[in-house]
Amino acid sequence: MAIVAQTSRAGRISRATFAWIVALIFFFPIFWMVLTSFKTDADAVKPEFLFFFTPTLENYLNMTENYDYWRFATNSVITSVFATLFTLAVGIPCAYAMAFNPSRATKDVLMWMLSTKMLPAAAVLYPMTFLTKNFLGIYDTHFLLIIVLSLINLPIVVWMLFTYFKEIPKEIIEAGKMDGVNTWGEVKEILIPLAWGGIASTALLCFIFCWNEAYWTVRLTTTEAATLSKLIEGNRAPEGLFFGRLSAVSAAAVGPIVVLGWFCQKQLVQGLTFGAVK
Amino acid sequence: MSDRRIPRLLQTPAVVLLLIWMLIPLGMTLYFSFIRYVLNNLRRPEWTSPSLSNWRGVGNYEFVLNSKDFWFAVQNSLFIVGSILFGTVILGILIAVLINKTFPGRGIVRVLLISPFFVMPAVNAVLWINMILDPVLGLNGLAVGGINNLIDNLQTAPVVGGFFSLWPEFEPISFRATQTSAYAVIIMVTWQWTPFAVLIFMTSLQSEDQQQKEAAILDGASAWSQFRFLTLPHLGRPIAIVVMIQAIFHLSLYAEIEIVSRGNGNKNLPYLIGEFANNNIGAASATGIFAVILANIIAIFLLRMIGKTLME
Repeated sequence: MAIVAQTSRAGRISRATFAWIVALIFFFPIFWMVLTSFKTDADAVKPEFLFFFTPTLENYLNMTENYDYWRFATNSVITSVFATLFTLAVGIPCAYAMAFNPSRATKDVLMWMLSTKMLPAAAVLYPMTFLTKNFLGIYDTHFLLIIVLSLINLPIVVWMLFTYFKEIPKEIIEAGKMDGVNTWGEVKEILIPLAWGGIASTALLCFIFCWNEAYWTVRLTTTEAATLSKLIEGNRAPEGLFFGRLSAVSAAAVGPIVVLGWFCQKQLVQGLTFGAVK
Repeated sequence: MSDRRIPRLLQTPAVVLLLIWMLIPLGMTLYFSFIRYVLNNLRRPEWTSPSLSNWRGVGNYEFVLNSKDFWFAVQNSLFIVGSILFGTVILGILIAVLINKTFPGRGIVRVLLISPFFVMPAVNAVLWINMILDPVLGLNGLAVGGINNLIDNLQTAPVVGGFFSLWPEFEPISFRATQTSAYAVIIMVTWQWTPFAVLIFMTSLQSEDQQQKEAAILDGASAWSQFRFLTLPHLGRPIAIVVMIQAIFHLSLYAEIEIVSRGNGNKNLPYLIGEFANNNIGAASATGIFAVILANIIAIFLLRMIGKTLME
């Protein structure tokens, strides 16, 4: 404690102030987007209304009219929710088997799964378009996006679940086996209740990644299944015309996800570094 | 009875799905990269559908290697990725060290700092290129306009006016040219990914040996030498991981490039593949194979590092 006290009071205060300034600078673009979303399109580009202006909700109220926001938002919700559910449905049994019945191949399988994640998406752009458009006829459908989003997130999900499941003592599962519980019962009655927190945060992170995905959602959709990424990408260069309304639709697209993200900071480290940083 | 079979059965769906996802599209890319395959060609209509009779061998690869666009795209990809890595690692370490100790409102500072990471890439690009970096109506233009106005006013001031009338009019930087739009991409992605670096370095700093540090302080080590000889070596592994994970993500950077630089020549490999894929599928596929090779070089190192900690 004596050592801690050596750091001077002035030093601590200036450190805290500096930290706050840095944080505010980083948050400023998001703040600016939200602020602009309450200005009319005309006010948004006038220097005299930079910080002081008459706030209006007009941009939010007209989102449907201007951009058909809710259709795109609904598509984002549908594809992200179902992709997350599907990924968990495939990932939980897989991670369960790997954590409780590891074989010599388990490590290699896990590494191989990760390596699929490192394949650059652009390399398979044309085959994916060709297969889904000409061959399977599922281009621009929710079904396609759900499958693709699941597959790109499956490695991370299996990986994260595996690290959570590994923490559960094997004896608990063994005890269940003695009582004559079958595999499905083990998963449902023992594993899921015990690892509930881990599963929930994995699901949350998977949902965020699905929501923000911006390669396949842009390249594999046109109108029917187009998500919010596609909507924003389609309105990319307004040359100052629609700053107000564009800010509103952008804020509506990222707001819920940023808030969700605040709740899974810790899992983010684990999920993105595959457990290599603790 | 089935001690072995059930675990294997449980893993099958995940493994089979990923196997299909990896093998079929990649196999097709490999196949297309060896044949002549274009979407529109009136003189040679037989080239418009994939067929082994249009075999071209390594012709597509030669075509790609001889095209100026390809070398520019590789160079530009590496420049963008390298700059982002440099920025995020330096900023990440500084900020992580800054907020590692407790201070009033640390929780809120963390929440503010992490937020950019969850902004979807399309919104990130649209927000920066329009509302912030636009040379006329964005904050960039407004700020430079404001400075010019201020100087104009000072020029008529009594004493200092003479000095300020020597100043030039400032020009806002336009971020829509080839080179400057690469800078715009670097700025916006660095903004988005610095929080990721901060988060990882902070997690790692929590496990730093405090006793060792206190001993160093007792020995009279300066703050700089504590950082240089204790903290920095401790961060070595997290830095390597941050660099590799980001390298893999940013080599396939797409939405930002598409939004910021459509048509102005600022392309990277994924963007070039998209351009080729509008007509010349053979060239697009060959470029894709090059992109896979580039990503694999980094991935091998990353996987090796992760593999070490896997079964602990």
